[in-house]
Amino acid sequence: MGNTQPYTVLVVDDNLVNLKLIEKSLSKEGYLIFSADNGPDARSIALDKLPDLILLDIEMPGENGFDVIKKLKDDAATNSIPVIFLTGVSEVDAKLKGFDLGAVDYITKPFHPLEVLARVRIHLKLSIATNSLIQDQAAKLRQVTKAQVAMMPLPEEHPHAKFGVYYKALQEAGGDFYDILNISDKITGYFVADSSGHDIETSYMTASVKALLAQNCTPVYSPAESMKMINDVLVEILPQGKYLTACYMHINRTTMKLTIINAGHPPVVCQPVQGDSFLIKSEGDVCGMFSDAHFGIETLKVSRGDRFFIYSDGLVESAEDKITWVSGADGLLPVYETLREVPYDRAPKEMISQLFGNNSCPEDDIVLLCIEV
Amino acid sequence: MDFKYLASKIGIDDEDFMELVELFITTTLSDLDKIKQGVAANHPEDAAAAAHSIKGAAGNMGFEAMSELAKKMEIQAKAGSLENFDAHILDLESQVNQLSTN
Repeated sequence: MGNTQPYTVLVVDDNLVNLKLIEKSLSKEGYLIFSADNGPDARSIALDKLPDLILLDIEMPGENGFDVIKKLKDDAATNSIPVIFLTGVSEVDAKLKGFDLGAVDYITKPFHPLEVLARVRIHLKLSIATNSLIQDQAAKLRQVTKAQVAMMPLPEEHPHAKFGVYYKALQEAGGDFYDILNISDKITGYFVADSSGHDIETSYMTASVKALLAQNCTPVYSPAESMKMINDVLVEILPQGKYLTACYMHINRTTMKLTIINAGHPPVVCQPVQGDSFLIKSEGDVCGMFSDAHFGIETLKVSRGDRFFIYSDGLVESAEDKITWVSGADGLLPVYETLREVPYDRAPKEMISQLFGNNSCPEDDIVLLCIEV
Repeated sequence: MDFKYLASKIGIDDEDFMELVELFITTTLSDLDKIKQGVAANHPEDAAAAAHSIKGAAGNMGFEAMSELAKKMEIQAKAGSLENFDAHILDLESQVNQLSTN
């Protein structure tokens, strides 16, 4: 609805006199009118022209007004177009049914053209205000998205960390995030988490956890101590019912020792230079729910060239196919094997491409890190 | 019938009103044919639908007597009765024809 384009109104009535009367009354006030004298034509014009408002007669032969609005509301392209019913004065049940089906108002017949004009104006104003609010909120959410993405470190900013990443948030405020922690020249922390939500609160959680990681992942604390301190703070600050699943991997490239702390997160995939890929399964409580949480802890010796994959459940779960990460993680091991020759910084994108194709849309947020020792 | 008054009452100019009157005559005569067919076939629901159409259009144009008669016919036909419809049809036809000689 731009300033220079006229507002458009679709008028639907099987009586041509009523159609013409409304058309004349509204067009002389600057509205562009489309008209239809039956339901199927009305739906076809609505879909084609996407009018700013629809005036719809209820009692029509064949497909009546109820049928029309039901189909318009079922179609994503037309369901936000406000519909005003034209109805007889005594038809109370019809008015209620019209509202139930999504009409914004009704006009009783016989109608006065000036009343029609007044109601069209008020509902267009409401529609403009609502659209403006939606645009405003969407713009703010886009800022949140930008801020959240900006918090994720890029591989080129941390060349010594030797990692590649794929990150995709389905909504403006994604529930997944990751961080890279430069604990010392030779010690790096890799943190991947999935929070229980995709809302604005979640995006604040990302900032909070990032700050906690910076404060607590230092050479002074062991990985288990770092995670315990982060958990204790999150228990205090997270809203009730919110929590994280998280995986914190700590690699010391001097001692070649790797530690994984698992807080209810899908298992890390280990791809040793020698031998087949396998899952490092360790059970643990989620993070941010219990002050006495127990996390899974695994330590192992690693060799130069070994690879590890940390990911969120969106990679391995499918609500549509009823696959949970418990079974989904095992099923993907052969796919990791196909990535051995792909450089680690390109492996995550290659993996996503193999799993979802280049254009398909995953069902959930996804973060996938590939780390090479 | 004072068309000038009716035009100003519904807020449109005289020329547009005359155009609507012509359309009303055509549309209503067509609806009257549907009522006649409904009576001939003893299909009160068809007659009710056509009477409903006349009622709304006549009401919107300010032709209150026609709207009232069509309303009476619609209610009666919806109740399943077509009694005296021949007389009602003649009455409506007469009122419509008067519009063209106005």
